[in-house]
Amino acid sequence: MTRLPGTAKTPGGLYAAPSLVWLSVFFLAPLAIIVAYSFLTPGALGGVEWSPTLDAYRAIANPTFGKVTVNTIIVAMGATAITMLIAIPCGYYMARSEHQNILLMLVMIPFWTNFLIRIYAWIAILGNEGFLNDLLLSLGLVDQSVRFLYNRGAVMLVLVYTYLPYAILPLYSTIDKFDFSLLEAARDLGASKMSAINRVLLPNIRGGVLTAFLFTFIPIFGAYAVPLLVGGTESYMLGNLIADELTKSRDWPLASAISMVITLVTTLGVLLLLRANGTSVLGGDDHEAAEPAGEADALGAAR
Amino acid sequence: MKKLVLLLVAVAMILPLTLSSCGGGGEKLYLFNWIYYIPDDVLEDFTKETGIEVVVDSYASNEEMYNKVVAGGAGYDIVVPSGDYVSIMIAGSLLEPIDKSRLKNFGNIDPAAIARIGFDVGNTHSVPYMMGAAGVSINTTKVSGYEHSWSIFDRPDLQGRMTMLDDMREVLGAALKSLGYSVNDADPAHLEEARLVVERWKPNLVKFDAEAFAKSFAAGEFWVVQGYAENVFLEYPEDRRAEVDFFFPKEGMPMYMDSLCILKGAKNVDQAYEFIDYILRPDVAARIADYLMLPSPNVPARALMQVQPNYEFTDLANGEFKEDLGQETLKLYNDAWRRIRVGN
Amino acid sequence: MKRRPSFSRAVFATTIVFLSMPLLVLVLYSFNESKSGSWTGFSLRWYAQLFLDSPRLWRAFGNSAIVALSSALVATVIGTLGAIAVNWYRFPLRKYLRTITFLPMILPEIIIGVSLLIFFSGIGLRLSLFTVFVAHVSFNLPFVFLLVLARLEEFDASIIEAARDLGASEAQTLVRVIIPVSMPGIVSGFLTAVTLSLEDFVITFFVTGPGATTLPLYVYSAIRFGVSPVINALSVVMIVGTIILTWSSRNVLKYIAAK
Repeated sequence: MTRLPGTAKTPGGLYAAPSLVWLSVFFLAPLAIIVAYSFLTPGALGGVEWSPTLDAYRAIANPTFGKVTVNTIIVAMGATAITMLIAIPCGYYMARSEHQNILLMLVMIPFWTNFLIRIYAWIAILGNEGFLNDLLLSLGLVDQSVRFLYNRGAVMLVLVYTYLPYAILPLYSTIDKFDFSLLEAARDLGASKMSAINRVLLPNIRGGVLTAFLFTFIPIFGAYAVPLLVGGTESYMLGNLIADELTKSRDWPLASAISMVITLVTTLGVLLLLRANGTSVLGGDDHEAAEPAGEADALGAAR
Repeated sequence: MKKLVLLLVAVAMILPLTLSSCGGGGEKLYLFNWIYYIPDDVLEDFTKETGIEVVVDSYASNEEMYNKVVAGGAGYDIVVPSGDYVSIMIAGSLLEPIDKSRLKNFGNIDPAAIARIGFDVGNTHSVPYMMGAAGVSINTTKVSGYEHSWSIFDRPDLQGRMTMLDDMREVLGAALKSLGYSVNDADPAHLEEARLVVERWKPNLVKFDAEAFAKSFAAGEFWVVQGYAENVFLEYPEDRRAEVDFFFPKEGMPMYMDSLCILKGAKNVDQAYEFIDYILRPDVAARIADYLMLPSPNVPARALMQVQPNYEFTDLANGEFKEDLGQETLKLYNDAWRRIRVGN
Repeated sequence: MKRRPSFSRAVFATTIVFLSMPLLVLVLYSFNESKSGSWTGFSLRWYAQLFLDSPRLWRAFGNSAIVALSSALVATVIGTLGAIAVNWYRFPLRKYLRTITFLPMILPEIIIGVSLLIFFSGIGLRLSLFTVFVAHVSFNLPFVFLLVLARLEEFDASIIEAARDLGASEAQTLVRVIIPVSMPGIVSGFLTAVTLSLEDFVITFFVTGPGATTLPLYVYSAIRFGVSPVINALSVVMIVGTIILTWSSRNVLKYIAAK
């Protein structure tokens, strides 16, 4: 892809300046605080004491953290996969519709009511005495209430529900610019519908698929309220762990260190994924040979 | 078009700024409190009497309030921490000392309650507001043949129908009490015993829940829940309250005392004293206790109460105030709790 | 001829039902006479309470609406420009920009909240609705940026060059070519930003100041005491209001366009 040079006439830097300034001031500065905190000693009463130590990073070696991480990965992977499977056809349908804005509102408006209220509504639907069980019992499909809530399945269901719109939107806006005559040409050449979609559509909307993946996987990885409200005794995720370390244990350095590890691992994972896909969703592109080094530099700068 | 966008952005940026700084002159008091903890009409009457406007924001847990204050998020005059957090905040120099000579109604507080306070002996930095404890609520239409004891959580026949609070101190405190230890026990061996008790209860529990349990209890989904009476009764249909048996287990339980404290650096100290003294007035304290349906620590207020509280002051005899554990012991509790929550 | 996407339509319809299901419960409860979960009879008491006796709830709602709209608008403008720059232009710090834009998505909310609070109190910025707005723009930015970028990535710089060859100025190119091409991404980004802002309570809790309670904060602090059905009523009013507003603004726009 060609990129326009930044001369006085082409205001690339001008367009980028607001984002650069905003994120550098209001995001990097606080991030630097967190990085610093992860290397300090926890204050006896919360906060930190200014003596450097690696204790927080040593504490992460604790096996309970590994167990929570595994649980979190399973839930996040599962929920993300389901979300994507639903979101792709939805984005496709919206992109092909003539009433795009109405459909967009249909997807988003249910989410303009309070999050907690909606979770409570799910509890009312899925509970042992809830609407779904009432329905199943009255239809005679079951003879005893089914326990839908308070297990990993419930956590995943509500997570899918919560993040579905964020996955649908990028897919819709990418598929929208896809040239559907390509798909028809493939069909005319004898490709089945599935293989036409697999070979022609999906490769052309990689950017949207990846963005949707990021919008779903990353927030789910840090999920906090959903496992708390609809999970059972074993549904404890990294988000809960960090919140508990910060608020209940008052160990700010440990909470910071866990966040740092998550951030680094996720960032690296994302960059590798993008690299492997050769996509430019994050503005990366295939023609710049020094790409990985550039990323590392940028990360270094971020720290 | 471009100008329109620029204009919109400018308006968007200025709007939050102006709105937050507006709001006329006059005396003000910034109160950071648990939600629904003071009836609105009490605040309105206070404003009518004194001309001081009260701006209230709410929090859902001591931890949230505390972390916000520690990280520099002050701006409030009065906070209402529970006992253990009073001592933590005193140790962290986050509270102004209380000059009791400025509170002519301080003597109304039950000396029996004050005598049990360990978190701020002599009430140098805190003024008792309300006290109570989490107990166990049982749906008697579903459960029978039980004792008023923590052992209810040992019953496998109630598996999947019981919850305990998602609160380290409450759950470990319950286990410690069931073993006959203090809720503030610092002995690692005792704590390990308590952890094993909770591990024994855990397979019978649906979940640890401090947020939504009362709703599901009211819906008939949960039959036995550990929690605060006011949470449970606010959700339960009024005409069927007789179905609920709320009790404090005979082995004892952790207890809290929420206290009015003035934050260090508060800008409206005079107004804060005026407010605290107002709250201590018997008629006002009685209105608050009526609203919360809790026993009042204010002795003359008790005679003025018109509502039957959810439990009596004497029911709390078995309770023990949660105190701050200190960093070392807190770590032990945290480790035990994390093992319980994460599973081994 | 357009082929009718029957499979995707079925999935989409099912998804809308799935997404709206909690909403139906909410509407039902808002008309329920009793406070508890079981249906005891039709009543408008929660609506009466909402309109006659909920000043604090309305204030929280007002704060939320202001923050959501203003932060979404600012994030959309800044994020869109950033995405355009990253996609089509060369400039210093380009890689740095595209790396930091997705960091706010990765850091756990509670960590962002606490660190922003430490930062604000460190630079002496008084906590208020303005600090909430700043925080919301910060976490909304990456979503807008990535949504617009995903839309733009396959468009070649040749469309800009073509516009220039035809004699368009930089501003004309932006308004006549770039923005129309990005529109679905911009609209998605704006809607996402509004939604995220309306939902957030963890970050908001830390960065808000006295008197600047937003709706999620109000609801969250209330959850242990049983969220009053008044909030269900408010949600219903809000949704109906949004639909009317959207519908009428569409008609206004159509009217303007027709003129």
